[in-house]
Formats: sequence, structure tokens, C-alpha cells
Amino acid sequence: MSLNFYRRVAFGLSPQEEIPQEPLSWALNQLNTVPDFLWKGSIPTEKELRKKYGEWVYGDREVLRKKFKSDKNAYRKAKDELRIETGERYFELNEHAIRHYQTKYGTQPVFERFWLFWGNHFAISEKDFLAEFSTGPYQREIIRPNMVKTFEEMVQAVTTSWCMIHHLDNSESFGPNSKKGMEWRETINENHARELLELHTVSPRAGYTQEDVIQLAYIMTGWCHKWNNKDLETADIWFDQEMHQKGDKVVLGKKYKNDAKRELAKVIHDLATHPMCIKFVSTKLCRHFITDEPTKEMIDPVIEAWNRSNGNLIEIHKAVVTQAFKYNSSTHKFHPPEIWLMQLSRMFDLNIPLSAEKMSYTFKLKPTNRQKQLSWILREIGNSPYRAKQPNGWSDFEVDWVSPELLLRRFWFASVELPYLVNSQNKSHDFILRCLKNNFEDHEKMAAHIYQFRFGTTDKDLGRKYGIICNLPGVLKV
Amino acid sequence: MNCTRRNFLIGGSTTLFLSGFFPKISFASMQKKNLIIISLRGGMDGLTAVPVIGDKRLKKLRKKLILEDVLKLNSDFGLHPKLEIFHQLWKDNKAAFVHATNIPYTGRSHFDGQNLMETGAHIPYKEKTGWLGRGLLASDIVGKGLAISLPMPLLLRGVPQNNNFFPSPDFVETKLIDQIYDEFKGDHNELIKSTLDTIRQRPLSMQIATDSEDRKKLALEAAKQLKDQSGPRVAVFELDGFDTHAAQGGVDGAHADELEEVNEIVKILYENLGSAFDNTLILTLTEFGRTIKQNGGYGTEHGYGSAILMAGGLLKKSQVYTDWPGLKKKELFEGRDLNSTIDSRAVYNSAMSICFNKDPEFLRREVFWGDDLPNLTEDLFKI
Repeated sequence: MSLNFYRRVAFGLSPQEEIPQEPLSWALNQLNTVPDFLWKGSIPTEKELRKKYGEWVYGDREVLRKKFKSDKNAYRKAKDELRIETGERYFELNEHAIRHYQTKYGTQPVFERFWLFWGNHFAISEKDFLAEFSTGPYQREIIRPNMVKTFEEMVQAVTTSWCMIHHLDNSESFGPNSKKGMEWRETINENHARELLELHTVSPRAGYTQEDVIQLAYIMTGWCHKWNNKDLETADIWFDQEMHQKGDKVVLGKKYKNDAKRELAKVIHDLATHPMCIKFVSTKLCRHFITDEPTKEMIDPVIEAWNRSNGNLIEIHKAVVTQAFKYNSSTHKFHPPEIWLMQLSRMFDLNIPLSAEKMSYTFKLKPTNRQKQLSWILREIGNSPYRAKQPNGWSDFEVDWVSPELLLRRFWFASVELPYLVNSQNKSHDFILRCLKNNFEDHEKMAAHIYQFRFGTTDKDLGRKYGIICNLPGVLKV
Repeated sequence: MNCTRRNFLIGGSTTLFLSGFFPKISFASMQKKNLIIISLRGGMDGLTAVPVIGDKRLKKLRKKLILEDVLKLNSDFGLHPKLEIFHQLWKDNKAAFVHATNIPYTGRSHFDGQNLMETGAHIPYKEKTGWLGRGLLASDIVGKGLAISLPMPLLLRGVPQNNNFFPSPDFVETKLIDQIYDEFKGDHNELIKSTLDTIRQRPLSMQIATDSEDRKKLALEAAKQLKDQSGPRVAVFELDGFDTHAAQGGVDGAHADELEEVNEIVKILYENLGSAFDNTLILTLTEFGRTIKQNGGYGTEHGYGSAILMAGGLLKKSQVYTDWPGLKKKELFEGRDLNSTIDSRAVYNSAMSICFNKDPEFLRREVFWGDDLPNLTEDLFKI
């Protein structure tokens, strides 16, 4: 049994972890429940953070812009102070800490890998201030609890979440024959409808047309934030009947009778259980855990589990893990930078994230460089998790992660930055050898690469050791 | 970018069109031509960069944003004083502007607009490759794109083996790169192997750590690479911060600060490309212009028509190329924005045609789905 299975479906084994006797059941047993967050620092709710988002937007747009009309320097200064007061530069750092603490210490690391997958499948890309305030809690509160329910329930929750609605502009979508649409001569914004079809459920292979997109957008009209003068666009989501397109709609050949807010749940049911949706999402799961171009033989058992369990995500996840186990030695998967970092952190017990105590924030001073460190590293290695450029999230294809600069930055991180993250009690050569033994079959061959530096314990020596170890073919991929 | 559903359109045969057009090109094509795109994210205000002179309505609507000391271009248009290098080049027929132009997008969302300025499409997120990447691929120019940013910009996607330069905060020992290279020698992974080759073949200057926040250093290095006859033919720079909703100012406001950065990049490129500047085109790209009227914060809101700033020796002459729509209320787009009378994609298509030695008609079909884009090569560029 190849030890790389623990990296294929999780983050490798920490120095304290014993190599499990039965790897497959070790993995399968982690998927039945939603593990609690272990982070000991603050874990604000989505609603609390949305409140902060509102304070920031209101303060800038309604107060500062008016107050400092003609003085760009005073405006900038006041804006920087507002950033501090509202935590605009802080919350994302805290979210990264919560996330990485979980993947480093979590006792159900396989579950955590699926959590990362779904957060990226239903991606919130970099837009407005979502990364600063909302993407983290969205992944914690909308994605995570639904991972033990059905895929359909997940889609329902995501589609009506404030974060996704804001991300894909559904609040700006008016039924042209609705009361408000007629009064204000407004029409639909297709963005959310298109991504619900294309990215979240059936994919273009289902063969839907532009008319299907429009009709689905009609069904979705009315799902928006309930604007008020203080919270602005950060107010709660509701269904505004006065924006909703009247009349029957037809999506993918099926008629949805005029039924106001109930139309959405019906169409989501049909999309989330559509054979093309099941095939598309199963393929993506296999791509993430097995290989870039999974074969029919790899995917079919996942589709079967999906059909057998009516889309129960626990069963689907188990089928994926079983397939990943089956094809573990015959396939390769190149991991994106964040997962690679999480694996290094767990396998070598790196000193990230910062302790909860040191991550605490007073809203009076800028976040410290230490508090920014993890997020800075993520950005420098090219994979700041809440800042995907487009709604299709971060790519799961190797080709998108192998550019000269992106590879060089991994070399840079491992050889220059990582030594500062090695805990003081872990600086011995023996420690590295132990970690390698716990995670790699060919640990002896790997050790030979760093044998020449065995007596060195300075940061420079550590940099030479980790620089090579972390970037060997068998570490960049499984 | 992997071959997804969205780039099947670009597969068509490229070899059929290689002969029979552009008869004059064979000699000129000996010399490498460079195309440099500077993305101005946030919505560049064409009326601040290239203000129309003496328009009373503009003065009235922009009381707090009025520019003094405008550099004169011609009887109708001036230039923002921070764009000084363009003024210098203008005198030498090496700077020009296209005005009242934009991509055909009127939705006023940064997010959608920036996606469309890069894909060149009509529907946001429909395409997953950039017009520049598709243009390179259609012209059989592979491995000649250089992005001055960390992720490969969408604009350049669609063609493999682009390089990017945005150095890490510190130096990576050559020995380490060699060691890893050796380890990958026996690996099945061709992509990593060829990427490691690219890294190892980089000139020494590209291996040295640079502060990637320092755009001047990056521009200097890009100029060095572009000057090399065997180096990249296309470079993409990224600037943001044009979204000046407040304190936009005139000569010295927030928008001026951004224009100054554009000026700086062009200046460094001009000074360091040497004679290669004569075989270069530099064009800016933005998602939309800004409203005519100043807002309550002495800034401007998202608009429609903007301008393209151009520099380089491949320009036909110094000119403000425009079909000026006027600034009267009824002449404005939706009564508030400078209209766009030239689809900016026609300018980019024509520029690619010049720099890649390809028939514009061919590129229009291969890159822009045969959209109705007039051939502007003769009007704007040296053929």
C-alpha cells in the first residue's frame, strides 16, 4: 500500500500520527459527520461579518466619499482608518487561519479535502469585498453543513445564499413583466442563472440553449437582498414578488407553472438530479482526487453511488475515496499550491497558522505582519483561496499550475520562507527523516538528496533541505 | 488553459491562410514585431486622459475635475499632463489615440467588463480564453507571450507555453533548480520538464529576485526581453486603481496617479527598447469609461466609451482617431456616458494583424467569431 494515499485524499500524516492499519476504512470513516472547527480564536458568523461588510461599504460610500470630495490624500487616510475599524484587512486573514488550522490538526482530514473541493465547485470569485468579509463564512456556514446532506440540498442552500446572490448579481435581475420591472423598465441579469446551469449543475454538455438561460433567470427573479439605506446591498436575502417574472417558464423542455418563490426549488430539484449534472460533478470529483482526465471506469462507480443514494453526499464521497484508493498507484495528480502548502504544514509540523492568541484583533491597529504571514504566503505561491478570478473557481488541471513563475515560487517558498516556519524543536535532521518515513515509500532515496546537509541546522541549511524535498516529483504530485 | 467546451471555436485550420495575402510582408517579417498590452483595470476615464478642448458642457458637468495645463494635441483634443511621454512621442508620430471607443459592453460591472475585455466576447464568462491568446494560436506563434503578472492573465490564455515574469520576493539558488530538474528527468511529466527548461534557459537578469511591487523594474526587464530578437513578441502588463469614485481630481487627483503609472511603463519601454521600439505597438485596454458628470464625491461612476492610448513605431502617424459622438445629452449613451462609436476590438484585431503578420480578415474570423470589426490597419498602423 502506497503511503501517498494519505496525501491523495488528505494532507499526509503528521509526525504524531501512526500509519493507519487499514487506509481505506481510515478514509471512509471520516465522511459521516461534519467535524467541529478546532480553531480556538474568534469564528464570527456570516451575519456578523456581513454587518461589518455593510459598515465598511456604508462608511466609504455614504460618508467618506462625500466628506473628502476634493482631497485625495485626506480621503485615503480616512479610508485606511475605516479599514482598521471594520476589520476590512483582517477578517480574511482570520478565515485563512481557521481553514489552515483545520487542515493541519483536523481529525477528519479527508472530510476537509472535500470541503475545499465544494468551496471551489461553488466558487465565490474575487469581487467587491466578498473575499474580505464573506467568502470564508460562506464556506463555513453554507458549504460545510450541507456536506452530509444531498447534493440537491447543497445547491438550494448555495443558490439562495447572500454570498452567491451578491457574487452573481441576482439582486439586479428583474422580471421584465414584474411590477418593478415594468415601473423601472428593468430586465433580467442572466449571470446567476447561467452559472447555476453551467458551473454548478448540468454543464454545457447538457445542451441547454440561451432561451433556457433566460427562462431560468426568470424563475430566479425576485431572489435578492432586501435593500435598506443602512445595510445597502449587505441586507438579508428575501423573495421580492414585485421583481418576479409572471407566467409559466420552460427550462430544458420542462414546464414550471407560475408559482412565485416555489418555482426555484422545483427547478433546482430537476437540475441537481439531472443525469448530465451527476456525470459532470462526478467527473470533477474524480478529477480532483484521481487524475486530470479520469476514465469512464473511474467515474462510473461514483455515478452509481449517486443514483443509488439519491445524491447523498456521504455516499458519493465514499465512492470517490474508494475509487481514489483503487487507482492510487496507477494514476498521478498534481496538486495546486494551497493543498501542497497544507500538506507540507501537516507532514512537517510547520508553524502555521499563527496561534489564536496572536491572531486576535482590536480594531484599533492594522493587522501585524505576523498576522498577515499565511495569507501573504498563499498569495505569493499564487493560490489565495478566496480570490479566484472567475466564478469557475481555481483550476484543477495541472497545466494551469505549471508556469515558470508558479513553479519558481514553490521553490522560493520551500527554500527561503519555510525554514522560518520550522518549530524550534524540529530542526534536527532526524526529524525530517521521520516525517519522510511517515509519508513516502521512497523516503530513503529522498533522504539521500539531503544527506550532504545532515549536520546543518541553520536556516540556510534547512532551506537547502526543504527546498529540494518539497519540490521532488513525488511531492508536487501524488 | 485546458481544452474546455469554451475554446472549441478556435480550433480551425490556420495553415490554409498562410499564403496569398499581405504580399509586402515577407521582408518586414524578418524583423520581430512586438505587441504590448497594458490592462487598465477599474475603468479608465478617456475624458481625463484625452480631454476634449473647449467643450462647455464638459466644463459644466465636471466643475471639480477640470484639467489645467493640458498638453495640446490638436485643435480638438488635449492630453493629460501626466501622460508626458505620449506627448513627446506624439511629436515624432509615435503616439496616437483612439477615442470614444470601447468593447461592446454596456453593463457597467467591473467584473463582467474585465472578463469581456480579455475574452473579447459578448457574454460574460462564456469564453475561457483571451483574444490575445487566440490570436497568437491562430498565428502559430507559440511560447512567445510574456505576462508581467503572477497568474497567467485570461487575455493570454488559449495558447500554450507562455512565460511569465513576476519574480518571487527572494532569490532561488540555481543549484536547487538544477537538482529538481535532474529529478524530473526520468519523470513522465513533459509539461514540468519543459517548464523547467524554460526556467533554466532564462537570462540571468530574469533569475534575480526583483520586488514585484516595483513596476518600473518589471518594465525594464520586459523591455530587455522584448528587444531580444528571439525573445517574447507579446507582453501584458496589469494596472488597477482606475475606479475613481471619489477625489478623482484633475491634474493631481486619483486618476492622474494612475495615468502617471501608465506613463512610467511606456517611458521605460521606450527608453529601453531602443530601435526595437520602431517595431513595437503599445496599446491600453480597459473595461469601460466613466460618466461625464462628476458624482457627489467629486469622482465619476462607471460609464461606457473610453479611449485607447497607443505608442510605438508601428503607428501610422500621430492622430486622435475618432468618430466623435459629441457630449450633448442626447448624444450621450443613456444620457450619461460618452458613447462608443468604434468597437475597440477592431483596433486590437488590426494591431494583432500588423504584429503577427496575419490577414485581419483571417484573425477576425479565428479570434472574434467573424464579428463585424472593420479593418483599421491602414488608418492606424504602418503596413
